[in-house]
Amino acid sequence: MSIQSKRLGDEGEQIAYDHLLSLGWQMIERNFHSSQGEVDIIAKDGQFLVFVEVKNYSFASFGTPVGAVRAAKKKSIIHAASTYLHKKNISNVYCRFDVISIYRNFEGKMNIELYKDAFQMN
Amino acid sequence: MFVKVKSAALSGLKGYIVDVEVDTHKGLPGQSIVGLPDAAVKESRDRVKAAVSNSGLDFPPGYFTINLAPADIKKEGPVYDLPIAVGILASHNIIRTTYLKDTIFLGELSLDGAVRPVAGVLPICIEAAKNGIKRAVVPKDNASEAALVNELEIIPAEDLLGLIGFLNGEAEVKPHTVDIEELFSKEPEYELDLSEVKGQFHAKRALEIAAAGGHNILMIGPPGSGKTMLAKRLPTIMPPLSLGEALEVTKLYSITGFLSSRNTLVTKRPFRSPHHTTSDIGIVGGGRLPRPGEVSLAHFGVLFLDEFPEFSRDVLEVLRQPLEENEVTICRALTSVTFPAEFMLVAAMNPCPCGNYGDRLRECQCPSWKIQRYLQKLSGPLLDRIDICIEVPRLGKEDLVSCPAGETSSQIRQRVSKARQRQRERFSASKISSNAKMTPKYIKKCCLLEKPAEELLKSAVLHLGMSGRAYDRVLKVALTVADLDGSQVIRESHIAEAVQYRNILIQKCSSII
Repeated sequence: MSIQSKRLGDEGEQIAYDHLLSLGWQMIERNFHSSQGEVDIIAKDGQFLVFVEVKNYSFASFGTPVGAVRAAKKKSIIHAASTYLHKKNISNVYCRFDVISIYRNFEGKMNIELYKDAFQMN
Repeated sequence: MFVKVKSAALSGLKGYIVDVEVDTHKGLPGQSIVGLPDAAVKESRDRVKAAVSNSGLDFPPGYFTINLAPADIKKEGPVYDLPIAVGILASHNIIRTTYLKDTIFLGELSLDGAVRPVAGVLPICIEAAKNGIKRAVVPKDNASEAALVNELEIIPAEDLLGLIGFLNGEAEVKPHTVDIEELFSKEPEYELDLSEVKGQFHAKRALEIAAAGGHNILMIGPPGSGKTMLAKRLPTIMPPLSLGEALEVTKLYSITGFLSSRNTLVTKRPFRSPHHTTSDIGIVGGGRLPRPGEVSLAHFGVLFLDEFPEFSRDVLEVLRQPLEENEVTICRALTSVTFPAEFMLVAAMNPCPCGNYGDRLRECQCPSWKIQRYLQKLSGPLLDRIDICIEVPRLGKEDLVSCPAGETSSQIRQRVSKARQRQRERFSASKISSNAKMTPKYIKKCCLLEKPAEELLKSAVLHLGMSGRAYDRVLKVALTVADLDGSQVIRESHIAEAVQYRNILIQKCSSII
């Protein structure tokens, strides 16, 4: 990963974090890593425990960010999520996988979109 | 929470109840379907999710385990979409479970939540009624065929949202009913009529006998002489289906998905005319999970094979067993099913590859070996099963212009129905439906010959060299001729007519029989 894209990612995560906080979500963890995966943000939205994947684009891309979360990435998020539940011994909570997409348009205006229940385990 | 929703599947012509069990628990979201689902059943996961979301509902959270019990039979097709959706919603108390115990759910879901029609609803509903189920929720387009089962309350489902309203008691859905008596009392209307065929009185007479006794018939004639026209009009002179027969044919059409929402009960006799490139599986039925073939779709009707020798040898030979048994049993690794196949075989062919052999006006161009090879496509055993063989000659110029039309189909049908009535009375104690299906025991009992008739038959056997089966067939045809005549015994003229139909076959195909 280049330094540039790392910086872009970190910046996006911070924006997403602030956005979710403003929505009244209860933030629990950032950048949780398991042996084979990682989750950007873990937060609580009402009764749901939400695992959020942040997609930060330097330009307006085509297609939805849900499409940008491909099979391998999903697998990595799911692995991290189940590891997290196991570690914390959580079983009695409804979980959800969300994707948050952030990009600046040509005028430099920030655009944040939250996709709830973006994907599920197969 | 655990919820059980009833649905059903098909094995051949028989339905069986499938329990769709849905269990949900908290944790990471997802679904798994178990119980030997095929690809179409697995895909229902995506359809159900989209259908629920697009109906304006939140898809319930949590992990769902969906089991299709009994778990040792393969499940196929999209029929489980609706029960799975109902199960998922009921497990989160979005649907009340009051109705679920004695209701079966059938239907494919469209992504927008509409319920799409599925195949096999009628046999499934018949089976469900036997299993003590009171109510069936079926796609709206299938409601009419399902309503043929009187014992069930049929709830037509148009879309998921409407169904949820009904199950929760918030909306009323009127149970769908059809008046079987009214559907059935309508005399079938045919667009074709036998009076449209000019001349060919000999052939029409033969068709009448074939229709009256359920005999198989072979027409030989040059191209353009009217063989196909005659065959297509055969169902119009056959007696109408009885209610039991109509239901059985409807069942077969239901599992193949040929029923339209308007045409619920098949009241017309089927007429199937497969192309001569059809495979043997297409004719007898088959597939991994067997489906009925053309012989079954022609059940109680007519199977018309045009250009008879052009069919591949394999196809013609597979016809032999259903012609004798009136049913086909198809065995595959997964299952073995029996489909009924009580049909009349009507075959048409040219006398030679160019078609003009024996014609009065045009000369045949075929060398004799070519004719020989053409006829050899038909095996002796197959021709043995054909009761009536006729020549359909080309009409002369004068005939075409001035020949009278002859009787209408309904006039002939009345005579045929009378003859069939006599047969029904004769075979009332057995399962035999027509003279052509008589067993040797009945041939002995029912074919009473007058003295001169017996003499004639004896000499015919002597001179024509008929096989044992051919002898029986001649007697059966003679009995049908007697039935049409209203005679209790078989007279000399009846035997003469029957032998004549046999004789043409022997003359034409002497090289093979």
